[in-house]
Amino acid sequence: MPLAGATNGNGEPYAVLMALAGWILPGLGHALQKMWARALMIFVAVGALVVFGAGMRGNVFTSQGDDAFDKLGYVADAGTGSFYFLARKLEVHGPDVSHADGDYGTRFLATAGVLNLLAALHAYEAARGRKA
Amino acid sequence: MSLPAIFHLSHLQAMLLFALIISVAFGMLGRRRPVERVKYAAWSFALFVLIGVAVGWAIYPFSR
Repeated sequence: MPLAGATNGNGEPYAVLMALAGWILPGLGHALQKMWARALMIFVAVGALVVFGAGMRGNVFTSQGDDAFDKLGYVADAGTGSFYFLARKLEVHGPDVSHADGDYGTRFLATAGVLNLLAALHAYEAARGRKA
Repeated sequence: MSLPAIFHLSHLQAMLLFALIISVAFGMLGRRRPVERVKYAAWSFALFVLIGVAVGWAIYPFSR
């Protein structure tokens, strides 16, 4: 079954746009290609990881990190796109990584970002007609 | 809108939650047919849990 992106003839710019849309709002890249189930799943999965991560008071890294790990953490967190700001908004009391909860929360947030980047890459590939 | 630390999960609960979310996501992204998605998600979840518990026991002697 041909995909919307593969048949509309827009090629690379269209695929890049799908990837960007997917990064900015998790699931949007798939929703624009009418892959509703995948879009919903990505939105819920990334959203759940962000909410649980922030709820466990994980570390939401900022761009002003002191060392390489902080910067790498920021890149991972920023992978959630607009949900990064949701995490910052939810976690008004700041991180608490002195307990296991906070440490796990940090991993949940980073995983949400990496998962969303993977989904954005999938949306790009689908728009190119390489993946279904 | 504030969210104090409302989720207090044990190590096992955190691992199970993580494995569940990621397995479902992998299943949906990696496979197309619903049956294949369920199988892949279940297999991925089982591996996450089994390997997680195995690694937990493997490092247990060094934890104290």
